[in-house]
Amino acid sequence: MTPAAVELRDVTLRRGRVTALNGFGVTVPEGTAVGLVGPNGAGKTSVVDVACGLLRPQRGEVRVFGHDVRRDGLAARRRIGLVPQETALYDEVSAWRNLRFAAELHGLRRPDDRIAELLELVGLTERASDPVATYSGGMRRRLAIARALVHEPSLLVLDEPTLGVDVEARRQIWGHVRGLRRRGRTVLISTNYLDEAEALCDRVVVLRAGRVVAEDTPAGLLARAGRSVDVECSRPSALLLRESLLRDPSVTRAELTESGLTLLVQREGKPEALVRRAMDEASVSGFRVRPPDLSEVLRTLP
Amino acid sequence: MNVVRLIRATARLELELLARDRLFVALTVLAAVSFIAMVSLFGLTGSRAPMALVDEDHSPDAQRFVRALEQAHHSFALRPMSAAEASAQVGSGRLVGSITIPAGFGERVRRGDTVPVEVVIDNVDVDLTNDVQRALPAAIVLFGRDAGLPGLRAQVSERDVYVNDTGYVPYLAVSALALDAFVIAGALGAIAVAREWEGRTLKLLRVSPARPGALLAGKLLAAGAVAAAALLAAVLAVVLGYGVRPVAPVAVAGTLLACVVVFACVGAWLGAVLRRTAPVVPLMFGLAMPLYLDSGALEPTRFDGDVIWVIAHATPLYYAVGVLEWAFHGLQVTPEPVLLDLAILVAFAAASVPLAAAALREDG
Repeated sequence: MTPAAVELRDVTLRRGRVTALNGFGVTVPEGTAVGLVGPNGAGKTSVVDVACGLLRPQRGEVRVFGHDVRRDGLAARRRIGLVPQETALYDEVSAWRNLRFAAELHGLRRPDDRIAELLELVGLTERASDPVATYSGGMRRRLAIARALVHEPSLLVLDEPTLGVDVEARRQIWGHVRGLRRRGRTVLISTNYLDEAEALCDRVVVLRAGRVVAEDTPAGLLARAGRSVDVECSRPSALLLRESLLRDPSVTRAELTESGLTLLVQREGKPEALVRRAMDEASVSGFRVRPPDLSEVLRTLP
Repeated sequence: MNVVRLIRATARLELELLARDRLFVALTVLAAVSFIAMVSLFGLTGSRAPMALVDEDHSPDAQRFVRALEQAHHSFALRPMSAAEASAQVGSGRLVGSITIPAGFGERVRRGDTVPVEVVIDNVDVDLTNDVQRALPAAIVLFGRDAGLPGLRAQVSERDVYVNDTGYVPYLAVSALALDAFVIAGALGAIAVAREWEGRTLKLLRVSPARPGALLAGKLLAAGAVAAAALLAAVLAVVLGYGVRPVAPVAVAGTLLACVVVFACVGAWLGAVLRRTAPVVPLMFGLAMPLYLDSGALEPTRFDGDVIWVIAHATPLYYAVGVLEWAFHGLQVTPEPVLLDLAILVAFAAASVPLAAAALREDG
């Protein structure tokens, strides 16, 4: 049987008095993309660091392509390409020098063709000689992706790959990741953006306080949550309806919005009946029943 | 993976990073030379305090006494002038004091009278007062001997340990090279390593299959090359500026290179502990001065009492000064053999490399 690209079992990581991961486990099969999703401080970067052998957990097992990261870290690291959250580039020197140094770290001989190919891939050929300090946030992320790919790793690990970049740069980065997926690369992404996980990943692992609270395909997670109902009404009506409708056992959440109220209704619930009840109890100017987005799903998780 | 290629790649990147900050490199070289200037000033200041010499007698015996005063050990530069000038200049603070040889000095001395030699001293610093108090009896003894006066029988019989005297400033300047190596190589080594934490590039290094020891070696190679260039400027200042010719030039070069390696390694370890570049420079300077003064820089530490001597043994600067004073002046300033000093220096380097490499590898 082919070993999983990444396998974390019952991992506990304590840093000082904080327990960053608490019996955490995840499996990333080869050739798939798995997203780690959760609020800040949930433990996403800790999972990335543990998987890459940068942090040693106090308990549990960590394997990358079957190699125990603790005992056989060198073999594991050879197969990992990491794009850290902070990009970790040498700002004072050029993109070309950054890639060249990364290639030399991995023992590549005559890497110039590979570097040129990667610069072309991420659209930085024209700026290859400029110091990285002059790059925009998006360019830095693209360069960090190129650097992670320099030794053609089997596993690409991206820690918040689009944090702080503009919409256009985000679109470009997504394009690169999708391209890598098409070529069969295994991808592990930690992200704060649920649409990113939805767009790029086969499976999503939801973390909270260092534990897995849910794991499913993006569609499966959405299906778990039922449907969302947007009710358009004034603020007093919204306050009134929130109190009233939350008494219905099928309503799991009722959140005030700018245009009124959004209800999250369990799969077994009847949104139409709730809308009728709302119209009876208050002045409602409009409504919409729709599938919930991933952020709404996460808010319903324990 | 080819370790030599990895060391070369890391050194090349480090040099390129340094080359982007040419002002820093230029100031590093300047700092090396300025340390030599600093210790030279330390040696020179206070050693030539201006003191008026008022001769109201002008007899041959008065002139003998002036010569005796000049030969006596003191830190004054005697300036002949009139009593009025001396009084005015002492009053305005331009002279540290005045020594007056009264009229009739020669005649009265020959008669066996007691002759008061008036000394005015600006005792702002008791050290100067003590100095004149020590110098005058010595001068009187010298004078008595030269003038063939009865009743003065003291005689100094000096036997030197070394054939040649070593000037105080040349002694200080050579020990300052060890201080240079400590500050310059130490700071460069520390910055090369701390920068990886500060720029968060350490993650890149740690997730690669590269050996931390090879990465560190590359960094230290580049830091050492720049430090060696800075030290060369300082050595040229000592050799050409002060005319100090090393008795063992090859040993000087070897010792300074060993110092660069040792202190770059110690710096790398400190950089790994600090993890930020900003505190590196104040730390190196803060450590440097007390360690320097306790290293036998001003005189062999064995003359400074047991406590200071024992503390000195814990610092690599002590051994560096020991080897350098031997290589430049042929002096044995430590009781330990020079080769042992050198071996201990190398041991310091050997201990600090794995410490720094381990810090590059460890979690967090």
